Amino acid sequence: MSKATARGGVPRRPGDEDDICPVCKSSRYLNPNMRFLVNPECYHKMCESCVDRIFSQGPAPCPVAGCNRTLRKQRFRKQTFEDIQVEREVDIRKRVAKVFNRRQDEFETLDDYNDYLEEVETLTFNLLNGVDVSATESKLTEYATQNASIISRNATLEHQESANLEARQAAEREEARLRREAARKEEEDEKKAREEGRKEVLEQLVHGNKPAADVVKESKRVELLKRRRAQQSRALPALPSGTPSANSNPFTFKGLKSTAAPTPEKPYDPFGGLTDERSYYTLQDYYEHPWLDRARTDTHITAGGYTVTEYCARAMFEAFSGLGVFVGEEVAGRGDLPGGNGAGDAVAAAEAAARAEKGVS
Amino acid sequence: MIALPGPPTVQLSNEYIGTLDAGGHCVLEMPSGTGKTVSLLSLIVAYQQYYPEHRKLIYCSRTMSEIEKALAELKSLMKYRADQLGRDEDFRGLGLTSRKNLCLHPSVKREKSGNVVDARCRSLTAGFMKEKKERGEDVELCIYHDNLDLLEPHNLIPPGVWTLDGMLRYGEQQKQCPYFTARRMMPFCNVIIYSYHYLLDPKIAERVSKELSKDCIVVFDEAHNIDNVCIESLSIDLTEDSLRKATRGANNLERKVTEMKSTDAKKLQNEYEKLVAGLREADKGRQEDAFMANPALPDDLLKEAVPGNIRRAEHFIAFLKRFVEYLKVQATHALRPLLSPSDSIQTRMKVLHVISETPPSFLQHLKDLTFIEKKPLRFCAERLTSLVRTLELTSIEDYQSLQEVATFATLVATYEQGFLLILEPYESETATVPNPVLHFTCLDAAIAIKPVFDRFSSVIITSGTISPLEMYPKMLGFATVVQESYTMTLARRSFLPMIVTRGSDQVAISSGFQIRNEPSVVRNYGNLVMEFSKLTPDGIVVFFPSYLYMESIISMWQGMGILDEVWKYKLILVETPDSQETSLALETYRTACCNGRGAVLLCVARGKVSEGIDFDHHYGRSVICIGVPFQYTESRILKARLEFLRENYRIRENDFLSFDAMRHAAQCLGRVLRGKDDYGIMVLADRRFQKKRTQLPKWIQQALLDSDTNLSTDMAVASAKKFLRTMAQPFHARDQEGISTWSLADLERHKEKIEEEKIRELQEARRNGARGGAVRDEFEDYEMEAVMMEIDT
Ligand code: SF4
Ligand SMILES: [Zn+2]
Ligand SMILES: [Zn+2]
Repeated sequence: MSKATARGGVPRRPGDEDDICPVCKSSRYLNPNMRFLVNPECYHKMCESCVDRIFSQGPAPCPVAGCNRTLRKQRFRKQTFEDIQVEREVDIRKRVAKVFNRRQDEFETLDDYNDYLEEVETLTFNLLNGVDVSATESKLTEYATQNASIISRNATLEHQESANLEARQAAEREEARLRREAARKEEEDEKKAREEGRKEVLEQLVHGNKPAADVVKESKRVELLKRRRAQQSRALPALPSGTPSANSNPFTFKGLKSTAAPTPEKPYDPFGGLTDERSYYTLQDYYEHPWLDRARTDTHITAGGYTVTEYCARAMFEAFSGLGVFVGEEVAGRGDLPGGNGAGDAVAAAEAAARAEKGVS
Repeated sequence: MIALPGPPTVQLSNEYIGTLDAGGHCVLEMPSGTGKTVSLLSLIVAYQQYYPEHRKLIYCSRTMSEIEKALAELKSLMKYRADQLGRDEDFRGLGLTSRKNLCLHPSVKREKSGNVVDARCRSLTAGFMKEKKERGEDVELCIYHDNLDLLEPHNLIPPGVWTLDGMLRYGEQQKQCPYFTARRMMPFCNVIIYSYHYLLDPKIAERVSKELSKDCIVVFDEAHNIDNVCIESLSIDLTEDSLRKATRGANNLERKVTEMKSTDAKKLQNEYEKLVAGLREADKGRQEDAFMANPALPDDLLKEAVPGNIRRAEHFIAFLKRFVEYLKVQATHALRPLLSPSDSIQTRMKVLHVISETPPSFLQHLKDLTFIEKKPLRFCAERLTSLVRTLELTSIEDYQSLQEVATFATLVATYEQGFLLILEPYESETATVPNPVLHFTCLDAAIAIKPVFDRFSSVIITSGTISPLEMYPKMLGFATVVQESYTMTLARRSFLPMIVTRGSDQVAISSGFQIRNEPSVVRNYGNLVMEFSKLTPDGIVVFFPSYLYMESIISMWQGMGILDEVWKYKLILVETPDSQETSLALETYRTACCNGRGAVLLCVARGKVSEGIDFDHHYGRSVICIGVPFQYTESRILKARLEFLRENYRIRENDFLSFDAMRHAAQCLGRVLRGKDDYGIMVLADRRFQKKRTQLPKWIQQALLDSDTNLSTDMAVASAKKFLRTMAQPFHARDQEGISTWSLADLERHKEKIEEEKIRELQEARRNGARGGAVRDEFEDYEMEAVMMEIDT
């Protein structure tokens, strides 16, 4: 059953006092299949047959006295909430929520966000209670046109989030079902195994020539072993590994930012972050050195594959490579080692290690 | 030095003092009815008085009568100590129970319902009422409450131990309210004795137990059902009726807000400004008179500002209304198939379906339909409290349902695991008219009790029947330092446990689903009851697994003429779900036991009788447990809980059901043995008990001889007769000395022995190196029970 659809409309319960159509005055008593519909234009309630009768020929004014709004048939729908005010409120909210869909992480502080929420709520209330309706409406449209891109972006985000949630829940349900199945199976297996064991014992008692007490004792031992093994295997985390985000990232409201996918794991770096990139100099293509010129041109030299650039690169590297080493730091670091900072201490440490070793053996 | 009541206590003290010193929680099983309460109290009080910190003791029990009993024992203990020490110690011990039991106000105390008493009391004591009075308005206040303000705040009542009765008398004398005296004196007490709920129910705990310091020693007595108490304290049921009331409450609030806007808009503006600053700020005014509390609000929530869209009173009310309307939609949803008129009545009934939903999916649908977000929902309960306080409402019983809805809102938005929403079309199993109920059930007992374990360094969970011990730490999510089951030392074999597996005709008896209604089984059960009513003097108590089964078996017995036969020897009385009828039956039963007519009480293993009522001495010489008292496994809530236990605590469904059945059986058995000089016969009548006996408390197991575990009715009868003959021999209190009560010399001998043993153990340990712990197998019985097979279908 798809819940979302099943939740749509709700039939009224028999015995409700307002079970009479205000238009044709027929009651549920006479017509048990009667259903009421409302039109979000004015929210006046009437029965299905009235709707058919009045609006089939095209738009017509609402038959409720003093209303006179023009209604169209296709906009009639079932009432969701018992309280018609709430029905109307929810429609208005739907409209407002489509426009004002800012998210908390778009605000600098929580206070700002709360102020925003309150303002939206006040706007909604204005629409609900008919206060400054035209001004509010124009605010709404103005905001909608100004922030069109943000609104659509947030709408997509929202959509994604709810889709993710749905998927996650479905996955969870499936997992739970599997676990339930597994537990049931385990129980059945156990039962079967036990029965077989019992049968075996009986067989042995009948045909074997071991003393009965031994047979029984042996079978008990085997069973105990089996059970313990089963328990152990049960003690292991039996959860089938689902989507990793499913369990580690529960549904919290701080999780507004949690939509970002987990960063993919970086490729393994054997040097632990060390690179051979030069940080102290940039290698030039050409260095002016008269005595290198010959090496560049003399075929005796270049024929063997010798390149000047290679030579320059090495020379530069060697010249700068020491700059990354800070002797002072290294010395200080040595001082932190247990045992002090001298050669004498190193000897002492070695001695201590030797002593410890002897003690162990 | 104080004299301790019995040997278990000595073992206890050796291990236990260590735990108190080091901190840590423990589970102890001590035979019931043998001075368990007094042993624990005397030990802890001795410890408390010995050390200069005087750590406070919080002693929780279940019922009012148990609280009163514990207070009386504490009182005599303190008297004994005073005699021994030759001086009175500076000591205060108080009990606390609901206003309904402690109220003295002439008209309020006559109210029947506890909620009404609370509400009316509040209207007579609230802070703003007092302000009104000071402004010269004509309002009525409770004089008993006002008088308290004239006393020194830390010395409202003289030192000593006060029983509830004593408090009432003192309060009447001094014209001061016992309830508020106890509440306000709690920080100055050495021992507080009150009901579980004051610690476990988050709505109350926040109010009452907030100020108790971390080093308090907490004891939960009679705690074999503590997991259920925890679960109940966080579960909420909403019916259509309560939703309607909630709507009414919301409408009332709306009116009040409009009223206040025109008369005293400043107050609302004030509240608004406070809420902008955050709940904690708004909370400063909260006092003992506050209307209601938040359920287990996480701390970060209290620090945070209230979401902007429910800050204004009118916005919040609209929010609540929308939420209630949504719940109504849900409730009618359960009735949907019923209304499709084309089906016949039967199929309609069948298709009425139960819906269950996790909190996240509930929230999702809620948002889709009504645009209610999770965050403001979390603040609901607290926001409502604040509003009710601002509006200075006095008739708060009108808002009870609305409060429930708000609490539900907060819980559903706070916990996404460990809770489940279950929507059932019928209110109870027997109901025929659909009346949908929305159960918001807590599945995890650990949630409610977690704050207690987090907060207090020593928590002791104890009961007469709390086997198997390791189940409790598992279910409640805590680690123990001591976990021990003590056996009883008695001068004579004062109770006879037996397992009857078959009738005299050798047909196996069982309440298992397939054979429970077979005439041979029913007849055998009948014969068993008949035989025992012949041989037992005075009272017999018979427990059945359920009302339904009891009813059917009684009517079958009627047809077989068994009841007529029993009638010759005993009166027959029956427990019913109606508590008034039951108490009448109990009274008659007692009279019949006293005047020598003798009686049989037929009751249910999970009913009122099995939990709170003692059948000491002649009130219960035999107890017969007919069938293994399994829970009704078709219940949705139970199924959900079983699944939760399996998934989260790796407790298998059958293990839990079996454990639960056995703890109830043990509880029933324990009803008859309530003191050292008491005696009684305990009969477990079901084939399946034979395998389950390892799950009985150690003290019963110890007394259960191997030869008594597989009896037929006639063998049991012979055995019982013999037992009763020995019990008829005279027995003197003197005979107990050295065995079940010890003098100082005995105690010293015991100490020496223990020390010798310890030395020997140490030596051995050195010789053997590390020894592996023995593996115990508590759950012998993996057999799929017939009843349990029903779970899957
Ligand atoms: S203050 Fe005490 S005596 Fe007065 S109404 Fe409240 S509970 Fe009763
Ligand atoms: Zn009509
Ligand atoms: Zn209209």
